[in-house]
Amino acid sequence: MVVNTRGDKVDASPTKGFFVNMITRDITLEDTILDLIDNSIDAAWHNEGGQAMELADTVDLSAYRISISASPERFSIRDNCGGMTLDDAVEHAFSFGRRGSQELEEYSIGVYGIGMKRAAFKLGTNIRVRSTYTDSDGAREAFAVPILVDEWMKNDNPPWDFDIDEDHELDDDGVEIVVESLREGTKAEFGNPAFIRNLRRMIARDYSLHLNRGLKIAVGGKAVEGLPIELRQGGGFAPVRVEYKDQAGEDEVMVEIIGGMAAPPPESIDPDDAKDGDRRFGWYVACNGRIVLAADKTTVSGWGTSDWPQWHRQYSGFIGIVLFTAANAADLPLTTTKRSVDASSGVYLRARRRMRDISKEWIAYTNVRKQALAEAKRREAVPEAVPIQHVKKRLSIALPKLVRVKTEPVANVNYSVPVSKMKRLATELGNVNMTYRDVGLKSFDYTYDDHVGDG
Amino acid sequence: MASFDIVNYSLRPSKGIQRQIIFDGIRMLKSRLELSDMIYVGLGSIWFSDFVQAHKSLDIRRMVSIEADDTGYCRARFNKPYATVQVRHGHSSAVLAELHDDDDCQAHPWVVWLDYDGRLSEAMVGDIRAVIERSPSDTILLTTFKARATSYGRPEQRKERLRDLLGDVVPDDLSKAGCKGDRMQETLADLVTDFMKAIGVESARPGGFIPAFRIIYKDTMEMVTVGGIVPAPGNVSSATDVISDERWRCRPQRRIVAPLLTIREAVTLLSLLPRDDELTREQVRVSGFDLEQEQIEAFERYYREYPMFAQIVA
Repeated sequence: MVVNTRGDKVDASPTKGFFVNMITRDITLEDTILDLIDNSIDAAWHNEGGQAMELADTVDLSAYRISISASPERFSIRDNCGGMTLDDAVEHAFSFGRRGSQELEEYSIGVYGIGMKRAAFKLGTNIRVRSTYTDSDGAREAFAVPILVDEWMKNDNPPWDFDIDEDHELDDDGVEIVVESLREGTKAEFGNPAFIRNLRRMIARDYSLHLNRGLKIAVGGKAVEGLPIELRQGGGFAPVRVEYKDQAGEDEVMVEIIGGMAAPPPESIDPDDAKDGDRRFGWYVACNGRIVLAADKTTVSGWGTSDWPQWHRQYSGFIGIVLFTAANAADLPLTTTKRSVDASSGVYLRARRRMRDISKEWIAYTNVRKQALAEAKRREAVPEAVPIQHVKKRLSIALPKLVRVKTEPVANVNYSVPVSKMKRLATELGNVNMTYRDVGLKSFDYTYDDHVGDG
Repeated sequence: MASFDIVNYSLRPSKGIQRQIIFDGIRMLKSRLELSDMIYVGLGSIWFSDFVQAHKSLDIRRMVSIEADDTGYCRARFNKPYATVQVRHGHSSAVLAELHDDDDCQAHPWVVWLDYDGRLSEAMVGDIRAVIERSPSDTILLTTFKARATSYGRPEQRKERLRDLLGDVVPDDLSKAGCKGDRMQETLADLVTDFMKAIGVESARPGGFIPAFRIIYKDTMEMVTVGGIVPAPGNVSSATDVISDERWRCRPQRRIVAPLLTIREAVTLLSLLPRDDELTREQVRVSGFDLEQEQIEAFERYYREYPMFAQIVA
């Protein structure tokens, strides 16, 4: 209810149609599925004690499996992560408007109440959620929530809650959600091979910290492997790794920042040569273990904001990751879609200052590097890749001190040729994927050798 | 040099069989979906074999052949088999764009066969994308390209090359083995099909893209033909029915490698077919000559489509 200025009361009870539209319109299909994965992971995390997810801890998730299958006819997700209790179902997952932020505890990332309902309304119109769990007395319990959306939408009168039925037990304690009668858009996307493959890529990236702890996620029966995030250490290179505590209101937020060289910077800064070569570089942000921003090169992570230059190909090779950990997910600087960070959050802005300083060290290194290329390449070959979990604590990033070498003035060449000819020449030169720049250089060397021939 | 200067198109039996199967398939779709006044768009070269089939078996009158080569254009105009074949001079991307902009062409379903003789390239992928995105409803698209593994770089380079060409549909775990030897043709057929489906979804074609054709064949070179239909929403289920029917032959499990036979050999084999049991090598020997077992099997499978050519001394 809202009260107007004259004191009259206005009936502001929403309709189901309005509610469904509101919670589904700004979320993508991918995020809907990731929401469900978040719920499963939260259950697993709860089982393991619900502690802060810092990189250094040793929580092993290898006992947990999440299986997803998506086809134009049917979507399903099934986990063995312990299941949702009847209380959770009644109080949160399938009720409307009874959950307060104080309940977002235990270092979770999902928001049960929204995730389940979103999935119901976004994916299809015939949903069955099943849960099997072991209660505090050690007895196994099972229930099912069938949701027929069209039926449910017919009546706006409260209560809006869904019915909960008895059910036979699943093999393992866990949750199974099956959605049939998929919506047209969902059906089309699930028939798109690129969608499924991109979903796998998204899972590999966003849950890489969980997957690297042993969690198993399979899509269409095939396991997804976590994207390894590694930094190079040794030979004068050492990533920064700092930890500090921050406050979000009364609550504490743990922040950990790691950054350094993941790969040597590119030979060329020609965008034609970029392909997806620099796709993995930039800043990553994780909130309670879930990566919500990956390889960011935009103003969100600070590039191109005050006292911080815009991303440039020259800076490729750098990876930084910031981990925010909070008992209450509401204190984390993430947007509601969990697809980006809330750049106005104080916790995040304070972290960004440190991210800027680390980035600037790298920028300075790549600037000097251009004039000491031979020395830089020699030194960059030394360090070894180390998974970020194993990066040593260090207050600042270490990079070799290079000495600028005065070089002969160079001529830059720029010309256009048909791509087909370029590809044919690259193939003849031994690598169909050779960068245009290298094809140009090799052609120059070849001609130079023929016509000038002085080496 | 254009490929018609190297290969006499008429004399490739596997290609001929493939073409026959495909036109039979298109005829089934045309009849079930009640398609009429279709337009055939192809790369007729100077031989126009597919155009002749399009006219004879599909009763298509209006046909457009695209020819980029200057001499080829002149020869194509000379060789075009029917008055209603229009030869357009230009690269396929430009001519397709003109056809897509033409309101009259947009008013009829097309059969488009982009029958290339080279390996898959950025330009071809662009053509496939354009046809799926912009062609009229109920258009049937086919594309043929060279699929020998070595045409796509060294084994370790091939996945990246495919990623360059086809983008996100190329799985991250595509193995080197999947890009070698005969597996490469399967991989290419599957990924180009996936690419077509993805474009159908991403361009929000109301009926999507339904894969219908997948043929690997070899005369002197491994080739792949894939394609499907972008049906009007009302035709989706009919198209799916036709393609999932057991009589649909346009997605054979095995590649088509037809033996090169003399007329006398072919006629002798035909006289032994059809039969309830399998034709054996011994039976062929008894009839006076010999073939490898797999050649016999290939002939038996496709004897009805096997082309017969005789030299005409003019």
